[in-house]
Amino acid sequence: MTDQRIEQETLHPLAGIDQVIHAPARLMVLSYLYVVESADFIFLRGMTGLTWGNLSTHLSKLEEAGYVTIEKGYKGKKPHTMIRLTDPGRVAFREYKRSLQQVLDDLPD
Amino acid sequence: MSQKISLKEMERRAFRSAFQDGLVDIFIGCFISMFAIAPFLSTKLGDFWSSVIFLPIWAIVYLILWLIKKHVVKPRVGTVNYGSWRKSRMIKFNLIIFFILVIALILGILSFVKFDSMPGWIHTARFSLIILIAFSVAAYFLDFTRLYLYGALSAFAPLIGEVLYVYLKAPHHGFPITFGFVSCLIMITGLVLFIRLLREHPRPSLQVESEVMVE
Repeated sequence: MTDQRIEQETLHPLAGIDQVIHAPARLMVLSYLYVVESADFIFLRGMTGLTWGNLSTHLSKLEEAGYVTIEKGYKGKKPHTMIRLTDPGRVAFREYKRSLQQVLDDLPD
Repeated sequence: MSQKISLKEMERRAFRSAFQDGLVDIFIGCFISMFAIAPFLSTKLGDFWSSVIFLPIWAIVYLILWLIKKHVVKPRVGTVNYGSWRKSRMIKFNLIIFFILVIALILGILSFVKFDSMPGWIHTARFSLIILIAFSVAAYFLDFTRLYLYGALSAFAPLIGEVLYVYLKAPHHGFPITFGFVSCLIMITGLVLFIRLLREHPRPSLQVESEVMVE
């Protein structure tokens, strides 16, 4: 067995963790979206403490992965962005929780 | 397990953010001020009309606070639609509060019709108990811990008022003093929270919002 193969097998549980979700900022955003039905950009910014640009970038990545939908519209004359977790996003978040829990449980004390 | 607790706490934090503006506190303070002002009006208008007159006043206060929430608070803190768990909890809360109000109404009518010979302190104690239960239920279901304190203060107000009336001959069973104090305290708390929110959450400029939307 090659060293690379051994390394891959050893790291397998960690490698299986969804890297899109694993970034702290995106994990925080997804966690909030997981517990509510939908939220707008300002609310998420207030809850997560991220900057406008940072939040926008992370949301774009989550949207690319198909985990969130971003509905851009207007409330009166003002722009308004609502964000919602998609069904695949909800499934991926649950799977991430399960995988991470498993990895952490397997770690020796 | 700790993950589960953390997500629950996040949901609670998201929901509780709705009360950080102090507007609910201001409304509760206005509501309780009725018990302080109504006794003065009852000599001219009678018990019934001195209470009913507050309905349009509450409606106007509610409308003003709703407009403030819509045009001042929401552009600063954003909008959120809560999940199904919270929605079902709110339905339960509304049903229980409705049930408590019906019981309070029945007891109120009975006290006039049937048990008028009861000592005054029994009416006062019953009134305090209903206030305490209603506030505690609201505090529990809304995860709004300040309501426990408001409930305790409001429940003690008539009892202390009764003591002031008996020992110091305070007018109107001491209600204007005790409820006046409690309502002012609650309204001031609400105002402080509202001012703090305005300071901590400046209104995002239209330009920033537009730039984010374009991305």
